Amino acid sequence: MRFAASQRKHKLNRAAVNLSSMIDVTFLLLVYFIVTTVLATPEDLLTPALKVEEGSSISEEELDPQIIEVRQQDGRSVYSIGAHLCYERNELANILATLPVEPGLIIRVSDEVPVGFAVAAIQIARDAEFEKVTYVPAK
Amino acid sequence: MQFSRRQNQDSASLVEMTPMIDIVFLLIIFFMVAAQFAQQARLELNLPEEQGESQQDIQNTGLVINIREDGEIVLETDAPPITIAVLDERIKAAIANEGAPWESLLIRADENAASASLNEVLRLLNKHGLSATRIATEVP
Repeated sequence: MRFAASQRKHKLNRAAVNLSSMIDVTFLLLVYFIVTTVLATPEDLLTPALKVEEGSSISEEELDPQIIEVRQQDGRSVYSIGAHLCYERNELANILATLPVEPGLIIRVSDEVPVGFAVAAIQIARDAEFEKVTYVPAK
Repeated sequence: MQFSRRQNQDSASLVEMTPMIDIVFLLIIFFMVAAQFAQQARLELNLPEEQGESQQDIQNTGLVINIREDGEIVLETDAPPITIAVLDERIKAAIANEGAPWESLLIRADENAASASLNEVLRLLNKHGLSATRIATEVP
């Protein structure tokens, strides 16, 4: 009986595995994936209406909404609305705050302006609660 | 007396490792899968940093048109740039197959790209009768 008990004990000792090296490797893998994973930045949307100028420029009827020209002037991107020139977004926001929102707003964007500058105009118009914001690619 | 004390100390120092290993493996699998999805889902672009309209379902998207900083148009993450003529065909096919309302198209344009490519794409969408568009922004 004694002999049998010691044999069983011996088997149990054999079955034990040293896990520390596996845990080391596992932690290294975990740290590697945590460091290398690029967390996806949250994205949102702007949904302007779309209109393309055909033939002559926009008709008189369509001039009722205010028009922002987004273009380059003297090597700088600029928002032009009526006689006003705005180089910063807060200047444009201040002007838009004084305009009626019902007629909507047309944003006409020149080819050479950076996308970020043009999209900022759409965002400012949305923030000013214009009912309809229309993006028009300049000819 | 001495022998029995040593045995007590040994058993006290034993820690059950199995649940910890389970959790660590689950974390590894999570990060592996998340890294893979992040790479596949979106082309890496510097989108305009704007709040957006905060009410749109950006996941509900069919065709995604990416515009890189150099103005090149790319549809899939690993695919080569395409011309406007090819994009024209793809939009035509999307409209023929799915009816493609404007809500099913998404434009992701790099904020430093010139608006020329964006304007060209929007002219194309307008040509196909789409009355509005969806432009992706990065929430700051």
